[in-house]
Amino acid sequence: MSYLDQKEPPRREDRLKACIAYGGSICGMADRQKRCLQDDGERCFTQGSICLLLPGIAILNSIPDSVTLLHGAIGCGSCAHSQNANVRSGSGLRRGKVKDALWLSTALNETDVIGGGEAKLTEAIREADRRYRPSAIFVVSSCVPGIIGDDIEGVVERVQPQVNARIVPIHCEGFKTKVWATAYDAIYHGIGRVLLGEPEEYQPVLVDELGELKEKYRLSRTVNLMNVSSMGRGDEQELARLLRSLGLDVNIFPVFAHPEEMYKATQAAVSVSVCPTHDDYFLKYLQEKFGVPYIIKHMPIGIANTGNWIREVADFFGFQAQAEKLIATEEEEVQAALEEFRPVFAGKKVFVSAGEFRALATTQLLAELGFKIVGIRSFHHDEFAEEEYPKLAAYGEDFPFSIANAQPFEEANLLQRTKPDLFLGHWCSNATATKLGIATHVIYNTGLNYIGYQGAYELARRLYRQLKNPSFSKKLSRYARLPYTKQWYEADPFKYIKAVGSEPNV
Amino acid sequence: MSSFIERPRYLCPLGGALMAVTAIPRAIPIIHAAVGCAGNIIWGQNGGGGLQVGGYCGGLSMPSSNVQEREVVFGGGERLREEIRNTLEVMDGDLFFVLTGCVTEVIGDDIKAVVKEFQDEGVPITFAETGGFKGNSYYGYDLVLQSLFRNYIRRDAQKTAGKVNLFGIPPFMDVFWRGNLDELRLLLQKLGLTVNTFFTAADSLEGIKNAAEAELNIVVSDVYGVEAAEVFKELYGTPYIALSLPVGPAATDLFLRQVGDALSLDRQSIEQVVEQENRLYYHYLDPLAECYNDLDLQRYSVVVGDANYAVAITKFLADDLGWLPELAVCTDPLEESQQQRLASRLAGLESGIQPHVVFETDTSEIINHLNQRWPHNKSQKYYNAFSPAFVVGSSLDRELAISLGAPHLSVSFPVANRAVLDRGYSGYRGGLCLIEDLLSAAIAGR
Ligand code: SF4
Repeated sequence: MSYLDQKEPPRREDRLKACIAYGGSICGMADRQKRCLQDDGERCFTQGSICLLLPGIAILNSIPDSVTLLHGAIGCGSCAHSQNANVRSGSGLRRGKVKDALWLSTALNETDVIGGGEAKLTEAIREADRRYRPSAIFVVSSCVPGIIGDDIEGVVERVQPQVNARIVPIHCEGFKTKVWATAYDAIYHGIGRVLLGEPEEYQPVLVDELGELKEKYRLSRTVNLMNVSSMGRGDEQELARLLRSLGLDVNIFPVFAHPEEMYKATQAAVSVSVCPTHDDYFLKYLQEKFGVPYIIKHMPIGIANTGNWIREVADFFGFQAQAEKLIATEEEEVQAALEEFRPVFAGKKVFVSAGEFRALATTQLLAELGFKIVGIRSFHHDEFAEEEYPKLAAYGEDFPFSIANAQPFEEANLLQRTKPDLFLGHWCSNATATKLGIATHVIYNTGLNYIGYQGAYELARRLYRQLKNPSFSKKLSRYARLPYTKQWYEADPFKYIKAVGSEPNV
Repeated sequence: MSSFIERPRYLCPLGGALMAVTAIPRAIPIIHAAVGCAGNIIWGQNGGGGLQVGGYCGGLSMPSSNVQEREVVFGGGERLREEIRNTLEVMDGDLFFVLTGCVTEVIGDDIKAVVKEFQDEGVPITFAETGGFKGNSYYGYDLVLQSLFRNYIRRDAQKTAGKVNLFGIPPFMDVFWRGNLDELRLLLQKLGLTVNTFFTAADSLEGIKNAAEAELNIVVSDVYGVEAAEVFKELYGTPYIALSLPVGPAATDLFLRQVGDALSLDRQSIEQVVEQENRLYYHYLDPLAECYNDLDLQRYSVVVGDANYAVAITKFLADDLGWLPELAVCTDPLEESQQQRLASRLAGLESGIQPHVVFETDTSEIINHLNQRWPHNKSQKYYNAFSPAFVVGSSLDRELAISLGAPHLSVSFPVANRAVLDRGYSGYRGGLCLIEDLLSAAIAGR
């Protein structure tokens, strides 16, 4: 039985043995006998983090002609205010019109908590359908309905016959999983169950046989390029450019895909993941149910990684020779362009923090650029990135590696020890390094390029800029103070991991 | 009540409370909630807070118990105890403030008991119950004040003449909070008063602790902090006045006079300050006279904002700047008595302008209110259009502005498209700032 036959997807802790707490070193990770941290530790001191609702609605709000209906207390979904910038620029770039995201909240109050929120949700779905006439309504349930036991599927089933929009239930109860990457499964689960049906069309009286043949040919060369919002338009265009130069056509899915066109994903020749942490759940489903095979192996951040990513796709179509030619030309061009920056990068110490695959792939790019890696922090760990660790360990020098769902207190401690010249961190996670006076750059921002050869060059250009004048951080650090005690900086950075499998202090 | 709120322009009580606590000098919040609440709130700040996230211990550095299914089943008290104990080792602060979220409130953890254990050990720690279903972030701000008043400030303080507390401006939810608080404090100091504003660089925990020395609480809001002022009055017998956020000379004159009256200050010295400040204000305004007229800068306007700004900006546009605010939209969900109070503030304006006041939480409905109010052009040759127009609101009101062909300025949360550091719109100086910003937007293409 497929996972998608269930109401909710399993948690990644259960499905993939994903974990979020580890402190050790990169060689330690590469050498582990136990390939996955089966029995993951936990912290007994934690700072706030994010839940699956955030990456979840980042994707949903991008879907045109849809409404995201958050079923929960009024604050769940406030993150949309930040994500709205991506929706605005993204719809401008892809659809020619800047548009704000449209999200609603059932804003459960005390009465609802006691009496249940199902009636309110039913009414909200009807009203949303009437008022906005969307193609799809995503009903996203957060913690409160999860605890008070609202039956979201039951409500959807009862109300669906009365509304035009297709209603997609999505489970994002934050307390249920530590691994927010479960969000991708939750979104794909909802889309897979409700939105992949082909629209019914009239049978044409005269069959255009040539047209149909052409379409068949096109589909046989169409690649589903999976993007759950880890790429902005610039990055999408870079990968589309590379795939097109192999004669392939590209269907980007699911961000900014219209609900009525989502079925196209079921017709492609192959699906290719851009970040293996994101897509396995759905790609396996597309294969099982629709016979669309998939490639999930590399993240095309970094020069070698991009080449390997292209090779995998080319292998599938038997275009090896063309791919090698493309890679050779691209590499030569980008390497030449990077020369200008290398003297500034050589030997500079860098510390990286991000989602697992992104952190590891970006680190490889930084090593290619001549940086010396002094530390990595990944948000979680699962099996997909296993092959990446030996690659990094092969650079020779060991350095601290940890797994943490943010937890800047550990980071502050590690940064004081490793004293990097440059820090790359995720959204809302760069202030710690900045206040310590370190030149800082964001490792993920959909307005910037990171992916492919263009991304490598653009990232290098930005890092060059940061290193050229880090005065913002340097000056701020003279007066800014982080909220940690003196003794904390002297303590073992992984002191609060009650870990199974943690290694001694580095 | 509608069955949903479209694009809520506020966060949950926990969000507002966190914003307030991270603004208290050297305070460390301890969130007792699920793992994502902190991130959700910070992302909200990131997107709506005029590029301000944080405070001394803000952003993702805020300690949080991150309760899971296990705690939902067995209770989160033990986890909270552990989190507080370790927070005291790692985090460097002078006041620890436990705040609850939806999950821990629904499961009914006894926060008070856990906090009390630490208080008994002499730890400076307090708490507020700020579950998401109790209201919104403005109310969370109120709850933090209430908690400070009930649990933190010295009960035996002696009332001291000339000391006042000023609140009603929620940190970060009002993205101009620092500038607004600073300006009003400076003005009150000109009346010879000593002012505690709780959240600015000029405030200290010592000042907050002595808040009960005040002889008057001044709430510069018709809604935010009013409940807290009631609590204060109940506990310490301190009277309060609640008035709209004063923006520009007309409202600020009134503000100073009302404070003077409430404290029975010498009328003449109040009038002296009023006169001086007006002189200065109009001295700065003076050179605008040519261009203001040459460029025809008077505008019809729609004002969309929270309970503070919807009223304050509308009044300023009508009574100081001489614009024509037709529609004032307050986007907070309010009780009827609160709505009446706000509406009454815009009745009988000095300029004779009668803005239509509506209470509407849903962004996409606002245009309908204007359409009802202003007749459409039915292909008339001569048509008195709603033009030239201006929209003052939040960054969500840009689509409305585009549909009206009007320039736009974000003032009320969310303010996604402006960077705000110490700018403020309160008082006389604030009025000048607002004119600069409005007119700069109006002539951006010049
Ligand atoms: S953890 Fe739960 S209550 Fe908090 S933001 Fe996420 S879904 Fe909402």
